[in-house]
Amino acid sequence: MQEVFQLLFTALQISAVYILFSLGLTLIFGVLKVVNFAHGQLFTFGALVLSLTMGALAPSLGHGWAAYLVAGLAGLAACLAVGLVIYQFGFKRLERDMTGSFILSAGLVLLFEGLMLEVFGGAVRPVPALLEGNVQMLGLMVSRQRLVLLVFAVLLTAAILTLLRYTRFGKALRAVAIDYEAAMLQGIAYRRIALYGFLMACALAATAGMLIAPVAAVTPTLGDAYLVKGFIAVVVGGMGSIVGAVAGSLLIALLESFVGFYFDPSIANLAIFVIVMVVLLVKPKGFFGND
Amino acid sequence: MRIMFHSSVALKTASVAAMLIAANLCAAETIKLGLSVPLSGAAANWGKGSDWLCAKAAQEIKAQGGIKVQGQTHQFECVSYDNQYNAAEGTKVAQALVMRDGVQFVVGSIGTAPVRALQSLAERKNVLLFTVAWGASIKGPKFPFTFSSMNTPLEISEPMISFIKKQHPEIKTVAMLNPNDATGQEAEKVTKAAWEKNGAKVLVSDLYERGTSEFQPIAARLNAVKPDLVDLGAVPPADVGLIFKELKSLGWNGVKVVEAGTGADGLLATGKDAVEGTYLGAAIPANSMTPHQKELDEGMRKATGEGVNAVQIGAYDAVWAIKAAMEKAQSIDPVAVAKTMPTVKFKSFYGETGFGGKDIYGSDQQMLLPVIITRLTGSTLQEVGRVER
Repeated sequence: MQEVFQLLFTALQISAVYILFSLGLTLIFGVLKVVNFAHGQLFTFGALVLSLTMGALAPSLGHGWAAYLVAGLAGLAACLAVGLVIYQFGFKRLERDMTGSFILSAGLVLLFEGLMLEVFGGAVRPVPALLEGNVQMLGLMVSRQRLVLLVFAVLLTAAILTLLRYTRFGKALRAVAIDYEAAMLQGIAYRRIALYGFLMACALAATAGMLIAPVAAVTPTLGDAYLVKGFIAVVVGGMGSIVGAVAGSLLIALLESFVGFYFDPSIANLAIFVIVMVVLLVKPKGFFGND
Repeated sequence: MRIMFHSSVALKTASVAAMLIAANLCAAETIKLGLSVPLSGAAANWGKGSDWLCAKAAQEIKAQGGIKVQGQTHQFECVSYDNQYNAAEGTKVAQALVMRDGVQFVVGSIGTAPVRALQSLAERKNVLLFTVAWGASIKGPKFPFTFSSMNTPLEISEPMISFIKKQHPEIKTVAMLNPNDATGQEAEKVTKAAWEKNGAKVLVSDLYERGTSEFQPIAARLNAVKPDLVDLGAVPPADVGLIFKELKSLGWNGVKVVEAGTGADGLLATGKDAVEGTYLGAAIPANSMTPHQKELDEGMRKATGEGVNAVQIGAYDAVWAIKAAMEKAQSIDPVAVAKTMPTVKFKSFYGETGFGGKDIYGSDQQMLLPVIITRLTGSTLQEVGRVER
C-alpha cells in the first residue's frame, strides 16, 4: 500500500509541470484556434534564462530566494518579450489557420533550438535547488525541491482557474474561445484578449520551465519531451478545455508512474501513445472537448 | 583576324588548363574528413567537441608539415553533419558525406543506429569509417573499412566490473538501466554477463527512452528491488545525475556505476551531491593529464563549456591514425589505407598505440586504449584504476 501511495504522490509531482505546460497550450488553442509547437521552446528559454541569471547573480545574491525571484522575473520578462514578437509578427496573422500556424511554429522550433544552442551552448546548465534535502511526509520520502514545485504549481493552477472563472478578463477569454464572433458582437476586444491569452500562455510555459529547472537537465532541448507529453494531455483532455488539460496531464502522469513502475519505462511511453489512439478513436474531441 | 581568333582560343585553353591544374593541386593537398555526429539535441556537445577535436588534430598535423605521401604534402579538412543521434538523419548524413561531398574518410561517427546507416554505404563505397559507437555488431571481418576509436562495453565492462567487485566485495545484487536503442541494448547484454561472471545477481535490467524528462518512476522501480549497486551502463551523463538524484531522494545509497560515464560536468550539473562516489568508465581525470591533454581540455571547455571526453577524443585519434596509415601505405586510397590501418602505430591522445581486438571481433579494428576507471570525489574525478591494453 505504501508503494501505491508513493507512486500516487510521484504522479502528482510529475503532473504539476505537465498541467502548467498543457494549460498554456490549451489557452493558445482556445483563443487563436492554433497549436503552438514552439511552446516547448518558450518553456526551455525560461529555464535557460533562469540558469544564466542565477549564475550571474550568485556572487552578489547567492542562491537564495532573492536570487530566484530576480532570475525568475528575468526569465518571465524574456519569454514575454519573445512571445510578444512571435505573436505580433507571426500568430496574429495566422489565427484560426491550422496549416499556416503549423508551418510557422515548426519553423520557430528549429529557429529557437538553433539559436539557443548557439547562445547557451549544448552543455547542461546547473540550476541550484531552492531547498535541499528530503522530507518524510505520511511515511513517504519526498524531495523538498519537488514539494516546492508541487505547491507552486497547484497555487498557480488554482489562480488561473479562478482568473478564468471569476474575472472579467477570464470570462472574456472564455467567450472568445467559445465563439469569437459572438464575443466581438458583445463588445469584447478580440485582438486584445487574444494577445493577452497568448502572453499568458507564454508566461505559463516560462514559469513551468523555471520551476522544473532545478530538478531537470537544462539544455536547449529541455522542452522537447514536455511538448510531446503536454500535447498528448491536451488532445486526450480535449483541445481548448482547461479541465481537460488538467485531467489529461494527471492521466499521463499516472500512466508514466504506475506502468513505468510495474512494467517498464519503455512500456509506460508505449501505453501513453496507445491511450491517445484509443481516446481519439472513441472520443475524437477528447474527454472534455466540444465543437 | 584569324591569328587573333587563334590567340583568343589559346588564351582561353591555357586559362582553363591552369584552373584545372590548380584545382587538381588543391584536391591533392586537402583531404576531406567527414563526421556524422549529433550537433543538436541532448548529445550536441559530443558532436561539437568531436568537430572541434578533428579540426584541432588537422591543425596540429598542418603545423608539423602535413601528410607526406609519394612526395606530395596533403592537409586535412573536417566536414561535420548533424545525425541527430537517429537512424533516419544518419541515413541523410551518409548520403551527403559519401555521395554528395565525396568524402572517403570518416573520422567521427556517434550513435550505433546512425552509424549503421552510414556503415552500410561506407562499406559498399570503400569509405574508411571510424566510429565511437558502442555496438559490437558493427565490427568484425564483415566490415573491413570500419574501425573503432573508443573503448566499448566489451573493452570496459569486464575489467571495470571486476575492479569494482574487488573494491566492494559486499556487492551481491545489481539493478541495471540502459537507453532503449541499439547502443543500450548491446551494452546491456555485455554488462549483465560481466556482473553475473563476477558473482553478482542482476535483479532488474530495464531500458528507457532517450529524451525522458521525468525519472521518478524509473528511480522508484530501481529502488524497489533494493540493489547493492545501480549500474547505468550507457545512460548519458545528464540523465545519470537525475536518476541518482531521484534515487537519493528515495533513500537509496548504494554503489553507483556508469560504464559510459564520460565526464563529471554533466553528472554534477543535474545530480549535484547525489552523484558522489560514482564510478565512471570513459572519463579523463584532469589530475592525471599531460600538458598537451590539458591544452586540449582547456580548448574544449572554451568551445563547448565542458571538459574533453572519450567520445570526442575518438575523432582526434582517428585523424592521427589515418595520417599514420596514409604515410605507411604511401597512399591516400582508402582501400590501401584500411588494409594498412591494423598494422600502424601512432600518437593518440593517450600516447602511442595501435589496433587489436581480433580475439573479440575476429579482426584488428579496435583502437587499443587504456581503460581508465575514475571515481567522482566532490566535484573532481580521481583515477582509481587503469587497465592498459
